[in-house]
Amino acid sequence: MIWLIVRISALRLWHNKAELVLTFVVPLVFFSIFALIFGSRERSGETATIKVAVSDLIKNDDSQKIIEELQANGTLRFVDADSQVLKDGELKLLDPKVCERLVREGGASVAIVLEEGKKEKDSQKSTVSAKLLTDSSDQVAPKIVSALVQQLLVQKSVAALAKNPQPMPPANAPALPANAIPPATPNAVAAVDSPAKSPFAFTLPEVKTIDLVGGQKKNPIIAMYASGIAVMFLLFSVVGGGGALLEEKENSTLERLLASQLTLDELLMGKWLYLMLLGTLQTTLMFVWGEVVFGVELSKHWEGFLMMTLVTSAAASSLSLFLATMCNSRAQLNWVSVVLVLGMSALGGSMVPRYLMSERIREVGLLTFNAWALDGYNKIFWRNLPLQTLWPQLAVLLMIGLVFMIAARIGARRWERV
Amino acid sequence: MIAEDGFALQCIDVEKSFGSLTALNGLNLEVLPGERVALLGPNGAGKTTLVRAICGRVRLDKGSIRLFNAPAGSSKALQHLGVVPQELALYGDLTARENLLIFSRLHGLRRREAIRRVNEVLEWIGLTDRANDLVKNFSGGMKRRVNLACGVLHHPPLILLDEPTVGVDPQSRERIFLMLDELSKQGAAIILTTHHLDEAEKQSDRIVIVDHGRVIAEGTLADLIEQTVGTRRQLVMQIYKNNFFASFYTGASESNSLSRVESEVLPGFQYQTSTGGWIKEIDDVAQELPPLLEQLRQRGLVVADLEIRNPNLHHVFLHLTGKELRE
Repeated sequence: MIWLIVRISALRLWHNKAELVLTFVVPLVFFSIFALIFGSRERSGETATIKVAVSDLIKNDDSQKIIEELQANGTLRFVDADSQVLKDGELKLLDPKVCERLVREGGASVAIVLEEGKKEKDSQKSTVSAKLLTDSSDQVAPKIVSALVQQLLVQKSVAALAKNPQPMPPANAPALPANAIPPATPNAVAAVDSPAKSPFAFTLPEVKTIDLVGGQKKNPIIAMYASGIAVMFLLFSVVGGGGALLEEKENSTLERLLASQLTLDELLMGKWLYLMLLGTLQTTLMFVWGEVVFGVELSKHWEGFLMMTLVTSAAASSLSLFLATMCNSRAQLNWVSVVLVLGMSALGGSMVPRYLMSERIREVGLLTFNAWALDGYNKIFWRNLPLQTLWPQLAVLLMIGLVFMIAARIGARRWERV
Repeated sequence: MIAEDGFALQCIDVEKSFGSLTALNGLNLEVLPGERVALLGPNGAGKTTLVRAICGRVRLDKGSIRLFNAPAGSSKALQHLGVVPQELALYGDLTARENLLIFSRLHGLRRREAIRRVNEVLEWIGLTDRANDLVKNFSGGMKRRVNLACGVLHHPPLILLDEPTVGVDPQSRERIFLMLDELSKQGAAIILTTHHLDEAEKQSDRIVIVDHGRVIAEGTLADLIEQTVGTRRQLVMQIYKNNFFASFYTGASESNSLSRVESEVLPGFQYQTSTGGWIKEIDDVAQELPPLLEQLRQRGLVVADLEIRNPNLHHVFLHLTGKELRE
């Protein structure tokens, strides 16, 4: 009898293709997506696609050598003032203000500003110190760049020391003070303010890290992730809502609706408008909650939020209608939407921050709806950029919405007169 | 809203094929305002396509369909048409009142008028006290009544009902028929597709039988019987002889009796294997039956069972299509 129950369950699963796909195929798909996200960097040796902007305020041999060594390090990709990645060996030194703008706008993950440090003892020559302008939405890049720069500066200092040896300290000299070691965390304004007050002539180089974007925020991480979660849930609820069309088809309500004064165009527009308003309301509720409980700055950025939310919801609604018109049953829509929404969320940055992805996966991510929506929300909530900078995201999302709406209308022709 | 003259529905040489399948093949049908028509046909006869075509949901290959002189599917035609589909095409997760309000608005009623009509209709279907309950919690009969009401809220002069009593109990069925009678009295033309022959007989002024995509017979029940199986009654008898069952299943073992009975006692009778009875058609029961029974008694034969069958729609249908209605 127990075996019979097992058999019944197995047979039911076998006959339910949608459930079969969800059980056995979807996990493989997601395993592959995450393997691509995390694995491709290692395989391709692409760990290092950190976009950096460089400014050299000293312009001496030492700073030149440091920049050359940074260039030689495959971890970094230098950008120009337009945030375009430069070819290997190519270099464009930028003004510190341009560097700051690039970091604020997301054109570069980190900006390295090489400036004059302390004067070397018994020498007219200054040491090189570095200031790192960072964006803590990317929690990995500033640490890597900081470590690299620190290493180069220390090497430079040691080389200088070797050329100009200093007397050994007495055996009873005090140990190095704790603040002689540069801080490990680059968040906020963390810096070694002064070289170690050691009895040696040797001074440790300065690396000052300034978090340009997240430093002023009450709750920086929440501000960044709220949009990722919001967009993923927006997609889930809106795409699921589109299934009502298929339900109406299955129980003949659609036939009845179309035998009334209602046209198919009106029906689709009505569904689209409802889903868009539902999505807008859901996202707004989420951000209001985020502001009240977690300090997301919604009221400060409500115009940008409204623009992004309306356009994102509109595009999601069109996608939802498109999927509904392409599927034959609600069950089919369910599994298609689970695969699609989770897939887009994974690649588009709702689940895994995009800075963790390799350049190639990031490019693939731009094919997803989430990536554009998240970029837009990040411009508002993370980077505090003006509304006009949202145009690329708004344009792409509007285009996505329009294309899917047209495709949905074409797909819905099968429900028209036959 | 009901037209003063002309046809409520006019289908002229309607043709529609789906690939190699011909669903409608030169179908002609006319329905007068206020007329009640039952549409019958075996499965695959083209009824569903015809119903969808009347609703304007089928692009015809040839011919035309007009409702009160407006082309099927046009806004004017849809305004004249009330559709009650076979499926419960309702929103189960809305209340009866919400469903009715939605469909009244979809049929073009203005809000105030719609609210008034919904209250009227709720009373008409006997669900005023359940108006604010979710439809999914209703019994099958109650859902059917709401389904019917949603199709007639806007007072359409032509109502198309596709199997409106499927799966309902006899009481609810009776109630639905009373509602249809009321609509008919108000002047609406009613087209009813059904698999219940008794419904077709009782609920229509005219019966239309469709097969192979065309109308193969139409008229009143009497007309159809006259045109097809004729008006003669069928006499079916089970006969014993000398206390011995003489229904002659095989004939071989009782060959003498069979031969004698057939040739001398039961002239004109035919043996029916399925019932084990003898069948004869007679014109006048009162005149012909008593002498026949007396004849049998005198010959020592006992009539164990006797049935007089009137020709009915079932016989007509079988005669015309060669199929049972549900085949």
